[in-house]
Amino acid sequence: MLHSYAFIAIFAIIAFGFAVAGPAFAWLVRPKKPNAIKNDTYECGIKTFGETWVQFKAQYYLFALIFVVFDVEAAFLFPWAVAYGQLGLYALIEAALFILILVGGLLYAWLKGALEWQ
Amino acid sequence: MTTAETFLYLSPELTLLLVAALVFVLDLVWRRDPDRAHRWLPWVAMGGLAVALIITVALMARNPSAHIATMMVIDPMSLFFVAIAIVGAMLVILSALDYIPARTPYVSEFYALVVVAVLAIAIIVSANDLILIYLGMEFLSITSYILVGFLKRNRGSVEGALKYFLYGAAASAVMLYGMSFLYGATGATDLEAIARVFSGGLTGDLALMGFPAIALLMVGFGFKASLVPFHQWAPDAYEGAPTPVTAFLATASKAAGFAIIARVLLVGLPMFQEKEWVPILMGLSILTMTLGNLVAIQQRDMKRLLAYSSIAQAGYILIGLVAIGRDVAFGGLSGLLVYLFAYLFTNIGAFVVVIAVENATGATDLPAYAGLIRRSPLLASMLLLFLLSLAGIPPTGGFLGKFLVFGAAIRAHFLTLAIIAIINSVIAAFYYLNVVRYMFFVQPPDGGRKAIAVTPAIRVALWVCAAMTLLIGVCAQPFVTWAAHSASLLAAVW
Repeated sequence: MLHSYAFIAIFAIIAFGFAVAGPAFAWLVRPKKPNAIKNDTYECGIKTFGETWVQFKAQYYLFALIFVVFDVEAAFLFPWAVAYGQLGLYALIEAALFILILVGGLLYAWLKGALEWQ
Repeated sequence: MTTAETFLYLSPELTLLLVAALVFVLDLVWRRDPDRAHRWLPWVAMGGLAVALIITVALMARNPSAHIATMMVIDPMSLFFVAIAIVGAMLVILSALDYIPARTPYVSEFYALVVVAVLAIAIIVSANDLILIYLGMEFLSITSYILVGFLKRNRGSVEGALKYFLYGAAASAVMLYGMSFLYGATGATDLEAIARVFSGGLTGDLALMGFPAIALLMVGFGFKASLVPFHQWAPDAYEGAPTPVTAFLATASKAAGFAIIARVLLVGLPMFQEKEWVPILMGLSILTMTLGNLVAIQQRDMKRLLAYSSIAQAGYILIGLVAIGRDVAFGGLSGLLVYLFAYLFTNIGAFVVVIAVENATGATDLPAYAGLIRRSPLLASMLLLFLLSLAGIPPTGGFLGKFLVFGAAIRAHFLTLAIIAIINSVIAAFYYLNVVRYMFFVQPPDGGRKAIAVTPAIRVALWVCAAMTLLIGVCAQPFVTWAAHSASLLAAVW
């Protein structure tokens, strides 16, 4: 029975070897001529400046979260719309209920002032 | 089952859903009049929870074993845990009446979210399908993250929530991986169908799936029940969270973790009892109680101390599942239920005292409890009772729980486990009684002249917890019968 695990072990060894082999081979054959500029941190061509720990405004996140309402709505309504012909009235009511629930969530966020930029 | 019956059996969940929605909507309707919302909404939530509790108890009397599609099972066991969650939430809301408004302007959401958390627990404890189990666990987790980080201007609260979230996300990913093993092996997500495939004979690859699947599942379930080594979130989340939320996490949410462990293992994976899950649970149990107790000794903050104590208690509770044994007429499982029921009142009671002291002094460290007997005889004597019950000293509910669980272990011939548990209880008595030493014998810095005021709501919560803690210990028979009955119907599936 244990030989079933042997396949996983062999697979893991090959996968690990595959990942290591590339960089190792490159390291073996490449020319090594380091200088100060080559060893510097590289970020889109410009030298880095300022602190990494900057504060983002959390409000962007709130808007993105409210946008998810529409995102989810679309994701569910497309399949419903495609199959509309076969589904009939029952599915229409279900979809309407679904949209109502989402609108409820949006209304709640709106009335709570989540959409006001501070 | 007819549609009407489905609605009947889902009525506790539907009630909870409607109550949570009602609290959210009333909060919107009264948004220009926050005082009114703050005054009435806790009682709307309490009333709704009371209705849900009555419905749950009424359903218990029908003694159901109802499947809702293959997704949910409403049986005495699931109703037992729903009742525990509702009662816990009611006590938590009572104790939060002064705590939350003093610390944040967002009050109404708190009550609504507590009801939502109860709904999540109600779904988890009756879930009979891996997919619904996963959804329920995520639902409870996300609600809990929000509740832990509810004091968003408080560093500790936010830090606790972030740790809880990061840890929870990892744990639920691992759990999902375990579920994928079960689905891959059996082609089913419904627990009973999984059991049917496995009962056809554990041949070849099927037998190999058991251990890794159970081990991975236990990461997710153990995270909810705060079993070592999946407990690291607990001390920080417990310490940082608003104390009423801590009380909820340490009781109702933990009970849900045990409920789901019991159902998945007993209904879905009974084939793997002897070789796979009993050894896993035994190891987890020993680790959990030993580490919880040893670390608790060094705690100087009451909330952290109770956090580690609640980790250690999870270890004792787990013994009930280890000692379930095929021949022992469910002694271990009913012991586990009695333990959880007694632990609910005992632990919430202890946290209510912490809340009262925190309301008065703003501190949760042990020196804040020095000379408590002079500053508030009521709080000190109540905390004494709860600590004695946590330590497992008769005539309290905590003693009965330990007695049944340890007894089940001895009857099922897990002598080593029982001895380790008893040694651990002795260690635990040390740090519980150390708190008692502070309350009774340590001189407070100001000479103990400043009395601590206790509000009526806190008083009611305390008396209910104390009465139930004593009642379970003194008049044990009805509770044991109830638990044995709740546990026994799970045997029908077995």
